[in-house]
Amino acid sequence: MRGWGVVRENNNSNQGKAMDFNLMVEVTPLLIRAAWVTIDISSRAIFFGFFVACGLVFLQTFRFGPIRWFARGYISVIRGTPYFVQLLLVFYGGPSIGLRLDPLTCGVVVGAFNIGAYMSEAIRGSIESVDKGQSEAARSLGFGKIRTMGYIVLPQAASLMIRSVGVLAIVLVKNSSLVSIISVVELTYQAQRLIGSTYKPLEIFTISALMYIIIVYAVMGIIELAYRRATRYTTQ
Amino acid sequence: MEFDFTPVVTYFPTLLKGVGVGTLVAIVVAFMSIVGGLIVAVISIYTNKVVSWPLRFFIWLFMTTPLLLQLYFLYFGLGEWILIPAIVVGILGLGFHYMAYNADIFIATIKSVSNGQYEASRSLGFGHWNTILYIIVPQAFIRSIPQLGNNMILMVKDTSVLSAIGVAELVYASQYAISVSFRPFEFFIVIAIMYYVINILMELGQAWLERQTAYRR
Repeated sequence: MRGWGVVRENNNSNQGKAMDFNLMVEVTPLLIRAAWVTIDISSRAIFFGFFVACGLVFLQTFRFGPIRWFARGYISVIRGTPYFVQLLLVFYGGPSIGLRLDPLTCGVVVGAFNIGAYMSEAIRGSIESVDKGQSEAARSLGFGKIRTMGYIVLPQAASLMIRSVGVLAIVLVKNSSLVSIISVVELTYQAQRLIGSTYKPLEIFTISALMYIIIVYAVMGIIELAYRRATRYTTQ
Repeated sequence: MEFDFTPVVTYFPTLLKGVGVGTLVAIVVAFMSIVGGLIVAVISIYTNKVVSWPLRFFIWLFMTTPLLLQLYFLYFGLGEWILIPAIVVGILGLGFHYMAYNADIFIATIKSVSNGQYEASRSLGFGHWNTILYIIVPQAFIRSIPQLGNNMILMVKDTSVLSAIGVAELVYASQYAISVSFRPFEFFIVIAIMYYVINILMELGQAWLERQTAYRR
């Protein structure tokens, strides 16, 4: 317990109480600091994952078969294996192929490459759901391929895309708890350590669950704002 | 950087034992989460608020917090009261987690069954609970098969997380072999391939099941 900031001296004073509120107040600062690490990892992974996803969507538009197959295969393998195993493979197996990452970077990199595969499917799905007549009409009116994409198709796909990418972002926030296995001191790691040292699972769980809930609801709020902005000109 | 897969071959029986434990956990959890999820959904829709609100609260709580945190809570929380093996904690944790997800699906599909079905069945002489049991729930269940399949595929992948609390499934089974052979890369690659194969088989099974039940939907 030394060095973890939590010292419980007289255990007897709390005997018989349902919840130890003093302890909950004591651990909150520690868990808030850990929650920032969770937010940090998740936001970076989502940011880089978006570029991975765009790259994968772009690769799938190639006419040259092997490039398309590579992208399809990558997506299939990432979606078909557990995130947990991917994390262990890169962190513990990486050094033997010359890939040495510190835990935090490893969490961000694996998270980004993992969510990138899921996100590329969401983005591709939303682009394909835009009526083909839209892009045909735009092309026949003289828009180029890139402008058709940028001015006609993407704005219409955006509303769908934001919602489905948002769901993935929430999943990623929850999956970021697995990074605790490679000893990144984020929310779940801190919670587990505190439970182990204080033997008060209910109190610690309540506080750390509350923090995850706050983070998840914040992400949901951001998605909702982005959705409203993307659909501000559309009429229902 | 040269690869050496001989330790993997040596310890392959251990890995297979891990697959066996993982499969056992997955089957029990699938059964528990589907049956439990259905019961939770029916109760939370068709009973009063005193019963249904706590249930909805638990669904919401399990869906907004990560699995690993729930597992640690159960592991240490239950460990205070009784001495139970890790595999039971793992099954309960994973079971409750996916029970919440499945209940959420069932709530949506039960509500999607047209109210006319209920009225017609009542007018033909079925009682309230008989209508729910014989008319509403079977239709809702068929409709939720695609989403249930997705959840179960996610669940099988999440059995790997159980190694964090010491359930002797595939990842956990490899720990000893890795610490003896110092070949983490080869072992984790083989484990990933095993999960991938299981995943593909499950996807094929899901597609088959969806084809079989498509005409009823």
